[in-house]
Amino acid sequence: MGLEWYITRRVAWAVIVTFIIVTLTWALLTAAPNPQVSQAATQAALQGGDPAEARERARELRGLDAPLHERYIDYVTGVYTLEWGWSESRNQPVTEALLESLYYTAQYSVPWTILTILLGPLVGIYSAANQYSWKDHVATGFAFFGYAIPNFFFGIILLLVFGVYLDVVPIVYNTDVAVFSLENAIQLVLPVFVLVTGSIGGTMRVSRNESAEYINADFVKTATAKGVSPLRIYARHILRPTMVPLSTTIVAQLLYLFVGSSLLVEVVFGIPGLGQTTFQAVIAQDTSLVLGSTLFFTFIATVGNLLQDVVYTVLDPRISFDER
Amino acid sequence: MNDTPLLSVDSLTTTFETDGGTLTAVDGIDFDVREGETLCIVGESGSGKTVATESVTRLVKSPPGQVEGTVRFRGRDITEMSESELREIRGNNIAHIFQNPQDALNHCYTIGWQIAEAIQIHEPDVSDEAARDRAVDLLDRVGIANATARFDDYPHEFSGGQRQRVMIAMALATNPDLLIADEPTTALDVTVQAQILRLLDELQDEYGMSILFVTHDLGVVANVADRIVVMYAGKVMERGGVYDLFERPAHPYTQALMECLPGKGQGDGGIPGSLPDPLNPPDGCRFAPRCDHAVDACRTGDQPEEIEIGDGHRVSCVYYQSGYDESTVADESLGTGTSTATGGVGDD
Repeated sequence: MGLEWYITRRVAWAVIVTFIIVTLTWALLTAAPNPQVSQAATQAALQGGDPAEARERARELRGLDAPLHERYIDYVTGVYTLEWGWSESRNQPVTEALLESLYYTAQYSVPWTILTILLGPLVGIYSAANQYSWKDHVATGFAFFGYAIPNFFFGIILLLVFGVYLDVVPIVYNTDVAVFSLENAIQLVLPVFVLVTGSIGGTMRVSRNESAEYINADFVKTATAKGVSPLRIYARHILRPTMVPLSTTIVAQLLYLFVGSSLLVEVVFGIPGLGQTTFQAVIAQDTSLVLGSTLFFTFIATVGNLLQDVVYTVLDPRISFDER
Repeated sequence: MNDTPLLSVDSLTTTFETDGGTLTAVDGIDFDVREGETLCIVGESGSGKTVATESVTRLVKSPPGQVEGTVRFRGRDITEMSESELREIRGNNIAHIFQNPQDALNHCYTIGWQIAEAIQIHEPDVSDEAARDRAVDLLDRVGIANATARFDDYPHEFSGGQRQRVMIAMALATNPDLLIADEPTTALDVTVQAQILRLLDELQDEYGMSILFVTHDLGVVANVADRIVVMYAGKVMERGGVYDLFERPAHPYTQALMECLPGKGQGDGGIPGSLPDPLNPPDGCRFAPRCDHAVDACRTGDQPEEIEIGDGHRVSCVYYQSGYDESTVADESLGTGTSTATGGVGDD
């Protein structure tokens, strides 16, 4: 009973969901041909050896000759003991490769997430407070633009304008600069800006429409009649109920962009983060690394949804977690 | 001192800019609320009663709303006040309760938090504990059982009647001089309605406040009012003491309203016709298009001047001007309903 029990059950569900996704990914990649094995066979054939024998040897070397269920159980045990295998393409453990990539991803994701959570509701409520005025139209136009334009395309345009023509930002991402340095800030401005414009659109629209509804709500009139100041009304009486539907949108938007668009943005700006690593791993058919990053994204999405559910019940007391 | 009314409203006009033009919801009305009395504003839905009371402390959203005229509270002109000066008055001197207790409380906060907010906004020095104690006392006073435990409950955990009690507790939090109650019982069922009315009556004696009560329900009016203002389409039709109005309703509109009371009059379908278009009100008396007695003079010029026909009893109808026979309207209503109506109301 109570919040703890609710969270416990939600975490249990999260583990099951992760498990199902891990299984599916593993099954798909196991069914696909292994590039190293085919390469070994080709090489043997070229050098006049027996391709079948070379294939067998390569499979044996990688433990692929074991029965399927054994390989599956091995893998799943590995997942929960953080032994995520060896990345062939990067020649390092998968966990290490992911951590290295995460280091770069976090550098633009953290400011991006914070800006989205802060600016989205603010711009939305500002828009609602000035509903149908030119301020509202400017904010709405900005939101629609950011929402509509593909992130990678917007990134290329910005890079062309500010990197090539105006020459104020570097075109090539430099991994050698310190995290908290001006150079790093400058090279991260564009990717963060592109992602914020992408995620703020939906967030801003939802908060605008939700809070526009609450601005005319009876309880806001009650607060005004009590003598509450407009600023406090926005901050306490309107923002709070607006955050309930908004939290869904924010989490969904961030996850969608994190998993989808950040990959393209990383490729455009040359950031060696998680998206780029996953992309390279898929091309190189680096099974362990693909599985590892899938697992990581699954983890992020599950935790995101879990947070969203918890935030929901905390923000809106009418949503009961007892009966679910 | 007692001669100066607590609240004095003069030529109050509230307009709204709409796509169809300027909508005049309240059109130059005036009324006074005296110390300790209950003034009822009566009229059918859409007659501008709510807008009139919400214009007093400028709760009307502006834009699109625009409030003109003077509102004097204890002799101070509050229409001239800045927003921040007005906030001192709102909740502190003039408190509001609204029609729909379902939506009037914020569903994200406990009722205790919301009552404490009302206290601490006006008395920032009050500690959280002291505010809590006062809120619990108030909840107890308005009849919320087990107030200490219920302080931390959310609005959805209360029934409609209880929520209106919470609203009343919140309104009383700063011991206001005037309580504006906008149809506080309309959304409640009849038994709860009676309880809330009784509670308001007790609290009025206890706190010595004045009440400006808005309703369309004449049964409620008979219960609570000292004096009545009858509004129709943004104008005042008639005003006077509760007995004068119930016994000698002078305006054809007031008479028609009285006849709508169950057991009164002969009609059973209310007043034929509907309110005039507020964007384009008729010339002359607003009620003329629906009035059985309307003559040409009723359809020209502005709403007739109010004419004093008794002590504080005034009516805005051409039949009471010199040159007209007021018995035309009086006779007619006597013939249809007044004999029964007066008898009926007298017994209430």
